[in-house]
Amino acid sequence: MKVPTASSRATSALALYVIILVAFQVFLITVAVEAFQTDDESLAWATATVSVVLAAASAALLRYLRP
Amino acid sequence: MSIEDANPAWKRDFPYEAAAEDAVTRREFARYLVAGAGVMAAGNVGLAVWTQLRAVNTGEPRAIVALEDVAVGATHLFRYPTDDEPAVLVRLDERDVVAFSQKCTHLGCVVFYEADESRWHCPCHEGNFDARSGAVLSGPPTRPLGRIDLEIRDDGVIWALGTAG
Repeated sequence: MKVPTASSRATSALALYVIILVAFQVFLITVAVEAFQTDDESLAWATATVSVVLAAASAALLRYLRP
Repeated sequence: MSIEDANPAWKRDFPYEAAAEDAVTRREFARYLVAGAGVMAAGNVGLAVWTQLRAVNTGEPRAIVALEDVAVGATHLFRYPTDDEPAVLVRLDERDVVAFSQKCTHLGCVVFYEADESRWHCPCHEGNFDARSGAVLSGPPTRPLGRIDLEIRDDGVIWALGTAG
């Protein structure tokens, strides 16, 4: 049986982090839509801020993924 | 790369290939995900800007019903601030009337007045709101009912002045 190397495991973990962050973005979209429907401006901006930070974090993690 | 790497056991056991099955690498897949995250983040920012800039219709003042046509403890259904939005007023005593949007702030079901309990009740998920203030009493809603400002004019007609808050 082939044992994954530490580098391979780290890459898989990073890919998993990216998937989790993107899944969280879907949740944030639902929160933003609710904020829109209820005209809750503070919640809408907070959601947008978190969403942008998560997208940036996803992009940063992508740099460490092996081809 | 060893021969084992090029021809792993699972490929020998399952020797079928789909067209272009190697077209997307893990990194490319992750790149698509991150691009999707970027699109969703842009959508979130767009929603925030839209929420900030749009003008919420608070309604124009208009006559609703004559006070004498609503008995004490009774309700009157009307549409406010637009014809698409159900609203309800209740006459609590001789000169005290309050009105709210009839849409529950949880998931938008229609609320009903329960005189015995002095509350607005949402049958969908058992949400309850205070009859006079619209504040949440129990259940899943976290925000009060949308209140409509009223005025009883000298001719005895109840006017809606606009939505509050």
